[in-house]
Amino acid sequence: MRFALLVSLVLAAPASAADPFGTVAEKVNTRVVKLFGAGGFRGVANYGSGILISPDGHILTSATQMLDSAEIVVHLSDGRKMKAVLLVAEPELDSALLKIKVEGKKLDEPTGLELDFFDYDAAVKRPKAQPGDWVLGFSNQFEIAMRDEQFSIQKGVIAAYTKMHGRRGVFDFPYHGDVYVVDQITNNPGAAGGPLTDRKGNLLGLIGKEIKNTLSETWMNYAIPVAAEVEVKDGDKTAKLTLPDFVALGMKGQYKPVKRPDVVASIGGYHGIIFVPNVLEKTPPYVEDTVSGSPAEKAGLKADDLVSFIDGEPIYSIKMFHDYLKRTKAGMKLRLEVRRGDNLQTVELDLGEQPVKPLPPKPVEPKK
Amino acid sequence: MKRTLLLLPLAALAGTLALLPSAVALDGDVKKAEAERTAVVAKVRPAVVAVCPYGGGGHGSGVVIDPEGYALTNFHVTADVSPVMSAGLADGILYDAVLVGQDKVGDVALIKLVPKKAGTPFPFVQLGDSDKVKAGDWSLAMGNPFGLSMDFTPTVTYGLVSGVNRYQPPEGGGTLEYTDCLQIDTSINPGNSGGPLFNMQGELIGINGRGSFDKRGRVNSGVGYAISINQIKNFLGHFKAGLDTDHATMGATVETENEDGTLSQMKFGTILEEADVFRRGVRGGDKLVSFAGRPLTSTNQYKNILGIFPKEWRLPLTYRHENSRKETLVRLMGLMDERANPDAPPPGQPKQPERPDPAKEAAKRSPAMKLFKEKKGYANYYFNEQQRDKLWANFQKHGDFTGVGGAWAVEGTFNANDRKGPLTLTIADTTDGSIDAKLTMNVPFSVKMPTANPLELNVPDNSGGLLPVLTQYRRLLTQGAKGFTANFSHGGVEPCYPPPADGKEVDDWAKRRVDCEVLKTKYGATECKWYFDKKDQKLIACEAAVIPDSDPCELYFGDYKPVDGRQVPHRIDVRWGDKNYGTLFFAKFEFKKAN
Repeated sequence: MRFALLVSLVLAAPASAADPFGTVAEKVNTRVVKLFGAGGFRGVANYGSGILISPDGHILTSATQMLDSAEIVVHLSDGRKMKAVLLVAEPELDSALLKIKVEGKKLDEPTGLELDFFDYDAAVKRPKAQPGDWVLGFSNQFEIAMRDEQFSIQKGVIAAYTKMHGRRGVFDFPYHGDVYVVDQITNNPGAAGGPLTDRKGNLLGLIGKEIKNTLSETWMNYAIPVAAEVEVKDGDKTAKLTLPDFVALGMKGQYKPVKRPDVVASIGGYHGIIFVPNVLEKTPPYVEDTVSGSPAEKAGLKADDLVSFIDGEPIYSIKMFHDYLKRTKAGMKLRLEVRRGDNLQTVELDLGEQPVKPLPPKPVEPKK
Repeated sequence: MKRTLLLLPLAALAGTLALLPSAVALDGDVKKAEAERTAVVAKVRPAVVAVCPYGGGGHGSGVVIDPEGYALTNFHVTADVSPVMSAGLADGILYDAVLVGQDKVGDVALIKLVPKKAGTPFPFVQLGDSDKVKAGDWSLAMGNPFGLSMDFTPTVTYGLVSGVNRYQPPEGGGTLEYTDCLQIDTSINPGNSGGPLFNMQGELIGINGRGSFDKRGRVNSGVGYAISINQIKNFLGHFKAGLDTDHATMGATVETENEDGTLSQMKFGTILEEADVFRRGVRGGDKLVSFAGRPLTSTNQYKNILGIFPKEWRLPLTYRHENSRKETLVRLMGLMDERANPDAPPPGQPKQPERPDPAKEAAKRSPAMKLFKEKKGYANYYFNEQQRDKLWANFQKHGDFTGVGGAWAVEGTFNANDRKGPLTLTIADTTDGSIDAKLTMNVPFSVKMPTANPLELNVPDNSGGLLPVLTQYRRLLTQGAKGFTANFSHGGVEPCYPPPADGKEVDDWAKRRVDCEVLKTKYGATECKWYFDKKDQKLIACEAAVIPDSDPCELYFGDYKPVDGRQVPHRIDVRWGDKNYGTLFFAKFEFKKAN
């Protein structure tokens, strides 16, 4: 305990320096990028943060919905605006790897960008930060910065290095490895994927998402360590995934994401939506009708409504809708964002018990 | 054990290292850093204000900036409790305070604390230079979060400046726009609004007022914003003059060119024809290079720099028209005319009849009420009168012309463009109450005021109305407030740019800037702005809108020498629009007494 006290006190010493973190902030700022992609909805940011891990423009960030976009836009610290492509994502490690695409060049060709970057291998070899250590968080939280404007810098202290019980919506949070828990509010909208560094700007980890701790129902501030590793069930075997492997293989185009088994909890809650015929691989979830007396009818869903989001998660197809509903149960309340005409409407759906036999569709009333 | 480890860093943060077991050997640097920090907190603490509804109660924060008791806070703090409120200091005493000036758009208000005994100085803090603040600097926020402190002892929090030159868009009716502001991770919470942000020397670098709030509710989110003190400095002269200030617009839309390209550039879009920037020759499609000395490449940068100035200020603009780069001075237009009126209730919601508020009833009996005068366009007209009279009294020290209201005759020479020669000027009252002014510069010019047709006021030709302005000048000197019943008010502080004596073109206007107290007058249809050097209240310039929908005529007074014990300018440079009209040199004066 005495030892712990001293460590943090000695680290506190540079506080009186004339330039505490200005130089560090400027240095880190050249190694981070502002990301813009899909979203822009209540609770779902369409912007994010990432770190450069190669001079050629490889970007490591958090695996967020923001990346579900045909075109990801990157703002470099010097104000340049470029496009990036998602190479691979691994939800089990809460990480994704992107690469900047330069106009007129193929993705696997060298970009010639010669960007400043974090040396990932060196970061992995460095000892872990300890509880009580000062850390710095850098991100484009709340989309404060655009183009050449500087990332936000925040100072915090490592509160713990531990496993976390998180949740996000009704999904269990997929990452089960160790995290750095921080005492500063670093995990704001758009912060996920920004670097957590020591006070000299050395990379320690990636700032995580906005999630709540299932034990205390409080918002968590955490980062995924650079050397993160998790064990996952892959069929009958248990496989070990590590972030360094993800980065190394991903940059070579050789990383294969783990196929997550569908979490089949139950048959799911009952909604009573009748969708248009599911004829395509990705048929958009258009409502054709609702079952009379069902939760969907009570919630006021109408024919031609397009279900776009459930509890902030984007829904692109009827299949995705059904997969999502498998994880629900009777008594739960879902918040749907529905496109009706030119407007988006919020509809609250109170899921019921599955009827013993599916009720017949409501007959179309003859026109008078 | 676990708990200790978690709490320890927090204890260190709060600056309460003294609580640690004494057995631990403290590092010398740590002790020094802590001692410096606590000394700074102790130094600034007495000047931190808890701004309360009249009679007390938690509300907001503020900070005293001079010994007379002037204190800065947020507009959104004073808005509900104006004009008379209470202000608690760390000494535990609750003072009466009155609103002095305000900035609805920038969310700043200046209040004045009334001492318990007249003349007792208040503790105050020094203003810093927020342009020197960098991301990664330490900062201290002080105030009264959650109304925690019943005895007004301020809470202090310690953290980093997370970013500088941040832009946060307006909230509600075009007000509370934070331009060029400081972003901090220093914890600020409800009640911290209006409170000071200090650097580690204890200099005031900002006024805390906003945060980014999302899912976690309206409490500290690690992202707070402070209005930069350098922005506030631009408005301080206006505040002290009791003005309800406004921010500015260029009168033009500004677009990002090449938004999808690698690098962006700013260019002008639509420009209002009545905008000064249009009169200066800027046209749609011209590129913005820099404004007020700051290079512009993004919308945020443009909004930031424009947002830190009051309306009507003149500032240098560099732009590119076709292939030539030009610098000019631009007068800024008011902003609130373009945005929704913040005082108006939202449509569909009739204004509720005001319920009697005991605090407001009690406030009416406060001695601070004597320091309040309501008038449209002013936060508190009482302070305008005070500042105006003080300015006038100081100006009178250079020479009192009130005894010489009779005919004026001046002789000298002139140098206008390609012409030069002797000059005579006479200004005299006529029996019908009007004023006759005659100016001879090789050829005679004359004008009769104020009955002249406004279309015949450009006398001499292309001077912008030099002769009519000279009649206003005589009127100002000889009659003062009595001569301008329509308006005679303090206009706050504005920059003024006297042209060089050699008449050469100016290539760097910023170097010519002199900060001036402004007096605004109106007589007949003519509105004038008189510029008095802030240092000594010497009249250095005047600007008069003589010709409707045109540039004002500008007079620059120089070469002051005593004449009969009064300081009189022996040189006047005249400008109209972008052109130097010429220079008048005065050698002989005759000021007659009024009949």
